[in-house]
Amino acid sequence: MTVTDRRRTLALLGAALVATPVLLGVAYAAASAIGITGIGATGFSLTRLAHVLGERTVWRSVAWSIWVAGAATLLAVAAAACAAIIFGGRSVIDRTARALAIAPLAVPYVVAGALGLLILGQSGYLARLAYAWGWIASPNNMPALVYDTRGIGVILTLAWKEFPFLALVAFSLIAARGVALEETAHTLGAGRWATLSRVTWPLLWRGLLPAATAVFIFSMGNYEAAALLAPSDPLPLPMLTLERYFALDLSQRADAYVLTLAGLLIGLAAVGVHEWTRQHAELFDQ
Amino acid sequence: MDAAACGALRPVNSRAKSRFADVDAVARYFGLTALTISAIGPLVLLVLWSASGEWFFPALMPQRWSPDGWGWLFQSGDRVAVAVRNSVLLGIADGFIGCAIAFPIGRAISRLTGWRRYMAAAAVFSPVAAPPIALGIGIQYFLLRIGVGGTAVGVLLAHLVPTVGYLSLYFLSVFVVFDSKIEDEARTLGATSRQVLFYVTLPMMRRQVTEAVAIGFLISWAQYALTLTVGGGTVHTLPLEVFSYMRAGSGNFAASAALVMIVPPILALAAARYAAGRTVVSPV
Amino acid sequence: MRHDGTSETVPGRPTALRLRDVSADFGDEAGLRDVSFDVANAERFVIVGPSGAGKTTLLRAIAGLIPVTRGTVEIAGHDRTHLVPERRDAVYLHQTPLLFPHLDVFENVAFPLRVRGVAAAEIRSRVASVLDSVQLGAFATRPPHALSGGQRHRVALARAIVARPAVLLLDEPLSSLDPSLRVDVREVILGAAREYRLALVIVTHDLDDAALMGDRIGVLLEGRLKQVATPATLFAHPASLSIARLLAIPNEVRGVIEGERAFSSPLNEMPLISNSQNGSAIMVFRPDAVQIMPESADTAQCTGEIVEIRHRPQQTTVRVRVATRLGTIMIEAAIDAMSVPAIGTIVGLSIDARRVSVFADS
Repeated sequence: MTVTDRRRTLALLGAALVATPVLLGVAYAAASAIGITGIGATGFSLTRLAHVLGERTVWRSVAWSIWVAGAATLLAVAAAACAAIIFGGRSVIDRTARALAIAPLAVPYVVAGALGLLILGQSGYLARLAYAWGWIASPNNMPALVYDTRGIGVILTLAWKEFPFLALVAFSLIAARGVALEETAHTLGAGRWATLSRVTWPLLWRGLLPAATAVFIFSMGNYEAAALLAPSDPLPLPMLTLERYFALDLSQRADAYVLTLAGLLIGLAAVGVHEWTRQHAELFDQ
Repeated sequence: MDAAACGALRPVNSRAKSRFADVDAVARYFGLTALTISAIGPLVLLVLWSASGEWFFPALMPQRWSPDGWGWLFQSGDRVAVAVRNSVLLGIADGFIGCAIAFPIGRAISRLTGWRRYMAAAAVFSPVAAPPIALGIGIQYFLLRIGVGGTAVGVLLAHLVPTVGYLSLYFLSVFVVFDSKIEDEARTLGATSRQVLFYVTLPMMRRQVTEAVAIGFLISWAQYALTLTVGGGTVHTLPLEVFSYMRAGSGNFAASAALVMIVPPILALAAARYAAGRTVVSPV
Repeated sequence: MRHDGTSETVPGRPTALRLRDVSADFGDEAGLRDVSFDVANAERFVIVGPSGAGKTTLLRAIAGLIPVTRGTVEIAGHDRTHLVPERRDAVYLHQTPLLFPHLDVFENVAFPLRVRGVAAAEIRSRVASVLDSVQLGAFATRPPHALSGGQRHRVALARAIVARPAVLLLDEPLSSLDPSLRVDVREVILGAAREYRLALVIVTHDLDDAALMGDRIGVLLEGRLKQVATPATLFAHPASLSIARLLAIPNEVRGVIEGERAFSSPLNEMPLISNSQNGSAIMVFRPDAVQIMPESADTAQCTGEIVEIRHRPQQTTVRVRVATRLGTIMIEAAIDAMSVPAIGTIVGLSIDARRVSVFADS
């Protein structure tokens, strides 16, 4: 075995080691989902699986979580792209704006959720400002953003939470690429809007695609912000999973494992969509 | 605001009056305002809330101030104080151990090429992407089997899973741009691979390693779902406290705990940015 | 030919580009100071200068990518000093071909037409014809990253041509290419310039490229245009010592100008062609101005010993050490590569006075 071969093997082993807990978890969840193992397991059976997949509640949860994560991701991507386009320069204002944009980068989800409640809640700060400006007369007039079936509060909160990360990626994309391509577009006759729509934006969204996929997956799997802001019907997928896991009826624990696998599958599907888009959007690496 | 002098993405021609100069100025004005509110507003709100004793709709400022929200600071053994201690210890352990494991893995993966690197990167990304609830439920069985379920050690092991995944990716990106020619040169000058690691690579990577430890700390620090599922409610950390105070409607306690939670991230970010301006080898 | 380069406009050959007293500041590179020149339609104008002289600044100022602080830039007869780049009718080609990575070859070339709102059918035919003329007709659907370096250059050129600019600005178009590709890309550029009657402004620091590509060459030193001349004139008669040094003329011999337009140096005495003030001076001449002959030849002005032989692709020279009353002088002389004398040979030297430039020593 050459040195290169040994290093290669070690590297692949290391990677496998990191993934082991996930693989173990998936294997255990899969085994539990089909009744091979776990509390109250009675041997191989597809009844729990079929039961869970036949529940309307479950599908509502899945759809709701995809809607919320998707909307939050799109909102954050749009905001990050705007910030990068508007504040891509080198002046003091540009640099200040960029620093402000990424300042909340490491705010934990639970804090984001708490802020969402304090600001967007029925008697939150937004409602108070609306009252002060005379838009509403009482908290009841405030459109429900929190605990609301459309999930506006969760969407806004997650978008705010994920915006700094996407902005950071967008800023570095623009800084790394420089302005030469835009200059080329200008001298070839493209005005501001043409350059923006034909050069800057297409390159930006392609560059943001991996980060946006990650953000979608994080938002899908997030528990704490959802638990603080989401309605009880439909219940976000992570909450439904945990509810079944901690249910007094131990037979429901198998449901939790099915839902766990469902969550992982949606994540995988997001990665698949990302790969497909990458292939079909001609994401040419230079 | 001087729009013409700033933007990098527009033709720089100072005297050419762009048709969009006004649009620029408006966008920059609103953009800056929005970013300021988004960055500073929440902080101000948390400070006000943590110091409030009574603050009902529709008051814009607390009606009564009170130090209650911060009472735990002066009472050792208080729930919040214990949670702070747990979070700090878990975070430090997670940062150092995670960094030590992830450094060689990220470096090894950076030497792979083609589909091998792609597969390896996907593998180390999987614990990052896996929903924490799913991950927690999935590994809880094994943690119970080795007797650490519901203990601080179990929680630490659980926190290490996403941390090692994330930091492996971090070191992968660091080593992809790290020019290993300098290591080769050190080898031809007579250094052993161990000497190269300690006298060349690690000193050059000091900032990256520090940053990685900080990231590891923050991943553990912010972790809620894993702690909840694996700790089984017996290991109290700050995120759990913020959550339960929020649920209980004790806004002032939640706000003070939340403020404590966002101090380390802000410090870490500031330190990283400060360091980034002072070193040559920077991560992607 | 006037050295200020402003008298080139020929009736019936309208001026593509006219710069008058252009000054500009830019970053670390030297700014421009009072640069004036004209480029006629279908003329190829080359700017040479050392790095940092302001060559790129000049092109970017013409393209409108940096502001001009003083003076005017006229393109195709209109003052466009203060127009934004996209309305100038001047295409700037970056040193490395900057293709849009998210567009294939066809869409890259179609870009200038798309942003001008040209009809789809016309775009198809115009792009196809330009791609054919740079021999890339078969590559229309390729993504940029699947092209070779030379092909990328040709796509960038095709994209510029399709915009039908009044003037095409090329920034070091060949410097990132290896020698064999240089020839290829150079010919494509010159061929396209001929076919489409393009006015070119080419910046380079390579003197061979400058001589081969330029109808005229302008020398830019420290932000000022010091000399504008045809390649033959420039290389034979650089206008100043610093230009001679830029042109890498290896032989410099110090001496004095005395009396009636005569220059005397430790090597020889000779009549002066140009007028100069009395005082110390330097004579500059190229290796091919020196003739090597047997030591005893009557026409030998001095003798010396061959100490080194230098083989280059285009020219072979010898370095001759000449002992004079004021110390040793090294002279580089061109020889026939087929009959190289041995090192140590004592030879006679004769310097052709018509091919010597003398400059006052400041």
